[in-house]
Amino acid sequence: MNPDSASLPLPEVLRAPSLTVGQVTPGSLDDQVLRFPALAPPRKWYVALAFTLTIMSIGLVLIGYTFYEGIGVWGNNSPVFWAFGIVNFVFWVGIGHAGTLISAILFLFRKRWRNAIARFAEAMTIFAVMCAGIFPLIHVGRPWLAFWLFPYPNQRGVWPNFRSPLVWDVFAVSTYFSVSLMFWYLGLLPDLASLRDRTDSKIRKPIYTILSLGWRGAADHWRHFEKAYLLLAGLATGLVLSVHSVVSFDFATSIVPGWHMTIFPPYFVVGAIFAGFAMVLMVLIVVRETMDLKNLITDFHLEVMNKVILGMSCLMGYSYAVEAFTAWYSMNTFIQHTFLNYVTGPYGWAGWLTMSCNVLLPQLLWFRKCRRSYPWMILVAMAVTVGMWFERFVIIVISLYNDYLPSAWHAYKPTMVDYGILLGSFGIFFTLVLLFARVLPVIATTEMKADLPGAQPRHGARHD
Amino acid sequence: MDEKSRTPPEAWRSLEEREPSPEALEATRPEFAPGADLPPAGLSRRRFLELVGATTAVATATACSRGTRGAIVPYTRRPPEVVPGVANYYASTFQEGPRAYSVLVKTREGRPIHITGNDEHPVLRGKTSPRAVADVLRLYDPDRLRGPRQEGREVAWDEAEQRIVKALAAARAAGTQVLLVTGALESPTRKALVDELAKALPGLRHLAWEPASGAALAPVPRLGKAKVIVSFGADFLNGDDPAAIRAFTEKRRPQSPDGPMNRLWALEGAMTLTGAKADHRFPVPPSRTAAVAFALARALHEKHGVALPAGVDLAPVAAVPDGLVPAKAWKALLADLRTAGPEALVLCGDGMPPETHQAVGLLNAMLRVETLDFREAEAPAGARDLDGAVQAMAAGKCAAVLLWGVNPAYAWPDAGAWAAAVAKVPLRVWIGLQEDETAAQCQLLLPEHHWLEAWGDHDGGEGLLTLQQPAIGALYDTRQGEEVLLALLNGLGSKVPADYHEYLKARWRKDVYPAGSLVPFERYFEVALHDGVVPVPARPARKPAPDVSAPPAPSVSAPPALDSAALNGAAMSAARPAPATGDAFELVLFPGAGVYDGRYGNNAWIQEWPDPVTKATWGNPVSVSVADARRLNLADGDLVKLAAGGASLEAPIVVQPGQAPGVLALALGYGRTVGGVARGVGVNAYPFRDPDPGRGGLRLGVKLTRLGGHRNLPITQGHHRLEGRDLVHSFSLAEYARQKAKHRHAEHPESLYPDQVFPEHKWGMAIDLSACVGCSACVLACQSENNIPVVGPERVVKGYEMHWIRIDRYYQGEPENPRVVQQPMLCQHCDDAPCENVCPVNATNHSPDGLNQMVYNRCVGTRYCANNCPYKVRRFNFLEYTAGTKEPASLVYNPEVTVRPRGVMEKCSFCIQRIEDGRLRAKTEHRPVRDGEIVPACAAACPSEAIVFGDLKDPASRAARLAASDRGHKVLEELGVRPSITYLANLRNPALEEEE
Repeated sequence: MNPDSASLPLPEVLRAPSLTVGQVTPGSLDDQVLRFPALAPPRKWYVALAFTLTIMSIGLVLIGYTFYEGIGVWGNNSPVFWAFGIVNFVFWVGIGHAGTLISAILFLFRKRWRNAIARFAEAMTIFAVMCAGIFPLIHVGRPWLAFWLFPYPNQRGVWPNFRSPLVWDVFAVSTYFSVSLMFWYLGLLPDLASLRDRTDSKIRKPIYTILSLGWRGAADHWRHFEKAYLLLAGLATGLVLSVHSVVSFDFATSIVPGWHMTIFPPYFVVGAIFAGFAMVLMVLIVVRETMDLKNLITDFHLEVMNKVILGMSCLMGYSYAVEAFTAWYSMNTFIQHTFLNYVTGPYGWAGWLTMSCNVLLPQLLWFRKCRRSYPWMILVAMAVTVGMWFERFVIIVISLYNDYLPSAWHAYKPTMVDYGILLGSFGIFFTLVLLFARVLPVIATTEMKADLPGAQPRHGARHD
Repeated sequence: MDEKSRTPPEAWRSLEEREPSPEALEATRPEFAPGADLPPAGLSRRRFLELVGATTAVATATACSRGTRGAIVPYTRRPPEVVPGVANYYASTFQEGPRAYSVLVKTREGRPIHITGNDEHPVLRGKTSPRAVADVLRLYDPDRLRGPRQEGREVAWDEAEQRIVKALAAARAAGTQVLLVTGALESPTRKALVDELAKALPGLRHLAWEPASGAALAPVPRLGKAKVIVSFGADFLNGDDPAAIRAFTEKRRPQSPDGPMNRLWALEGAMTLTGAKADHRFPVPPSRTAAVAFALARALHEKHGVALPAGVDLAPVAAVPDGLVPAKAWKALLADLRTAGPEALVLCGDGMPPETHQAVGLLNAMLRVETLDFREAEAPAGARDLDGAVQAMAAGKCAAVLLWGVNPAYAWPDAGAWAAAVAKVPLRVWIGLQEDETAAQCQLLLPEHHWLEAWGDHDGGEGLLTLQQPAIGALYDTRQGEEVLLALLNGLGSKVPADYHEYLKARWRKDVYPAGSLVPFERYFEVALHDGVVPVPARPARKPAPDVSAPPAPSVSAPPALDSAALNGAAMSAARPAPATGDAFELVLFPGAGVYDGRYGNNAWIQEWPDPVTKATWGNPVSVSVADARRLNLADGDLVKLAAGGASLEAPIVVQPGQAPGVLALALGYGRTVGGVARGVGVNAYPFRDPDPGRGGLRLGVKLTRLGGHRNLPITQGHHRLEGRDLVHSFSLAEYARQKAKHRHAEHPESLYPDQVFPEHKWGMAIDLSACVGCSACVLACQSENNIPVVGPERVVKGYEMHWIRIDRYYQGEPENPRVVQQPMLCQHCDDAPCENVCPVNATNHSPDGLNQMVYNRCVGTRYCANNCPYKVRRFNFLEYTAGTKEPASLVYNPEVTVRPRGVMEKCSFCIQRIEDGRLRAKTEHRPVRDGEIVPACAAACPSEAIVFGDLKDPASRAARLAASDRGHKVLEELGVRPSITYLANLRNPALEEEE
């Protein structure tokens, strides 16, 4: 903006939106966000935590049962050797992507509205990747030997098979997790220092002191911080694209009809961002309502996120169309059969559910009213979450149960253990989210302060 | 007293010393207290070190000692013939009802682990029944009875035998009957023994009873000589007769479209393997087969001028079958039979009604076929014999009943009548292997040897005698059934050896050993045991039959004389229009492919072996035709109730393409109530059998009601259509000729990667689909060779079966009467195997000789390889299947093959243990591996030698030559995975060019 334009009032739609509502000063912001760790949680938080912990324990008990008995307690069979385990893995890795996109890519693009939601979204990334990481481990036949997938020097002189996409997965996901964790922790440092300075508690003070790594807010601290943050953002940006591309290689490099598709990497990345935004949106709504943060996470934020969801939904529709076209154009009976199976046959409902949830329903978001109304946006976000889970189910299970030789075809039916472990993963995720909301600042106060009025002085501009 | 005197006299030096004063005592006391030279407080350093040293030494010594003490016998002198790690093979014989199969028993460290056919047998030529292969598991069945029992308590053998002898002696004195029920007595020595017992015990009533087998006069088809074969429900390709499969398929693998190739016409109610292989197949209800066969005879006579035997009048029968065979095909069939003449062969199934047997006999006689021999065989017990036995028991005329290797309480057509009658017999003795339904009705239970523990001789057919010798000592306190009979004979005053081995040798010395031979008998017998098979000596003259009223024994190779009166009667009854039975069905009852008459019900391998036709495991669903299923709105697994007369049962159904409408089919041998494995699997169909064994294969007037319930069937192949996919090639000869012109031998699709290099060997297979009849013998052989676990019915439903080789069966055409193609499917050992590059831990990789290897130890169980296998031949241990193995069942494991734990992937290895064995043998003998020297278990078991294994790098090897055939194709070759198995297209020889 140049000084002239500042003097000429722009029409409403072109004006840079206000990112906060009402009077917010750096001091009031600190008081509002940083008070939570010191407060005793309300009763409803305990109720929610008890609920998520119960679900989590169901999942953990069933995982233990799986370890004890073997994969045979799941619905997986021959030929559906992969089912819920891998569906859940891809689903949760996908959920994680929104966080990194918001915190890293939008940071590089200088989208200032991301500051209010980046911290939370990134925390969700880490929790989602933790949930995702459980599944590859528990779905193998002999989980106690799963460490053989890591390249470590050993007496036997045996290395992993570097041609296998599963090994690429190990690298991709573990890199993603560690970079996300570092990025998130780095961003937390100034806030941790603020918390340290604000508390007198004998327990919290030493903990925050250690965690804040001696942050004093000195100018060179800030200089290093900004540089490191920028570098890590650049690193994480590449990972947003690479992780889900590599996950898609598990399928794309195989010869299973329905998996062997060149569009898979971008298609998977888009789907991941899509599902992740829907999940972040839902959790943010709960957070801003229960923690009284509506002045910081505004309707504008929600609307922008809804626009992203809408855009991704259109890309999903495009991907589905390209897939279908590829199947038709390939003249390959096997692929054509698999694609017909997506929408017909015993699991055809899953295909239709996927498409209606991911492509049709999000079209509601073309309407401004829907983008700004809780019921509509929650409906869409829930639909996207369900739809994206089923998309992975469609790709994995339906492609496998009818592949090349008709003699080997066999239907798939999940067991209660499958459902229980899926539920349990949600329990783990929301338990971590609940704990995070009460222990650490859910909004990056230092980054928010840059959005406050008057925080971005410009040469020649009036300071207001 | 004595002890006192032995103590030495006390010596003393002075009187003072002897009677000391107190002072003197004081003076002799040591100056310092004991231990005064030691440091005052506790342990010294020296002492401490001593103690530490001693403790360490003792602790070390005890830690090294053995936990158990006892005599240790070093293996300095090993048992004869046993070399640890080296397999020994013994020839023996597996007998089942009227059939005996000469087999080779593979033993390791003295325990039998695998059964194959005996190569020395000139007819079977190394092939055997799949049930013989599976029966090694019964030797180690944990449910075997381990010692004799009397009224539920253990008893000594002598005591038990004494009790029987006493009862028999009393019966002999009182002149009452003693009933002996056995299976078919094809063994000459066993028969001699029973005859001897009958002589010693005039009241002996012997019943040779086989619940599931048929005709008295066993016709032996010479399929190798037949050009045109017409089968009326005869399932000669079902695997029971490997020689028939070989003879038939040898004429079905022509090198060129000009043949020669035989032609098979099948008219049958239920789908059989024979019908599946037929060039023309017509679904005909078994009750109508007689009419069709007579119509054929009449049409041959009237239209083609084939003479009818004198006195035969076919006027009552129609000359055309009404709607069962299309007119065009009927004409072709007539012409075909006429042209073939003596080279034709008409066969009739055991289960067909007697009228059909009559008509088929007439057809063969009219055509003067030279393709049929008749073999002298013991007539099995007929309806009158069975009734007589039950009546004698019920009337209290029997003093004792001996039941040897039979299970009438389960398999008798009227089990209720049997139970009521047998309860009236004072002494009931059971001789058998595993406790069964009949054992529960008996007081004395005498456990028998398994055949691998016993001696015997058998009628191998074709003028051969085969010997049975023990391959292992008795595992338990059991005796051979024959030895019980010998003990009874001795008890009754006859002078016979107590040992059946001696008895056998004595009879052989007398009856078999060629008189005037220069070879001593012991040497002769040894050679016979080694070979397992000897020709029956031509005896100069048989002793005349003792009873002049007995019918003369039918001579070998002469057809039975035609009885024109009986024929006319049969023709009359065949011509009678079928009685209006409303919606009643006719039910075909046939021995189960695996369980046979029920005797193998406790064998888990058998239970999990997919039925070759329905692919059902663990049970006998009722096969229903497609039309009936559509009409009654039935689908696979729906529960129905069958009722006929007083019998009824509830069972799930399976819809069987190709079955004639109005026909149901149900396997016998299921629904046992005793046995750890057998109990509760399937339903017992015996109550539906006609009491007349001659009509036992078919029950008319069966009502079917839908029950509304549903059960998930443990079927290994749920999908039967090809979906228009080019997976399996099947041509008529004419199509083959057209195809041949444009056939370019398969070239691999282009690849970006260099070809795999195989420096020495490249193992591969050629599988001739034209020779494969789908008998599934390979599946059981592989199971036995490779320690493949059994998973159970619930897990087969889930898709967890572990067989490394399966027979994919595909239907083509209309479901009412489809064409069938069989395709054995196993690991294709692809050169560019898609499973290998996706394994994250290198657990599956390629060997330099072309094998796709699986390293169980390294497998983590991601199952990615199985997803990426287009053939879906990889099997995953979803659960722990072997830990629960009850002893001694684990003794059956092949020690050369790892037993896989849960969480590990497995698959066909081309029997790598056999490959390595062959390679090592060649190496130690400094020669290259010979073609045909290495044979995987599936190929060894294949009766038609459809599976040929060999080195594809050696262009002269049989496998390589077959793989180069213009019938060859590879499955899913377009994927570029380069499989090592070439399938040779199935050929058909239809008389009419088919409408495609």
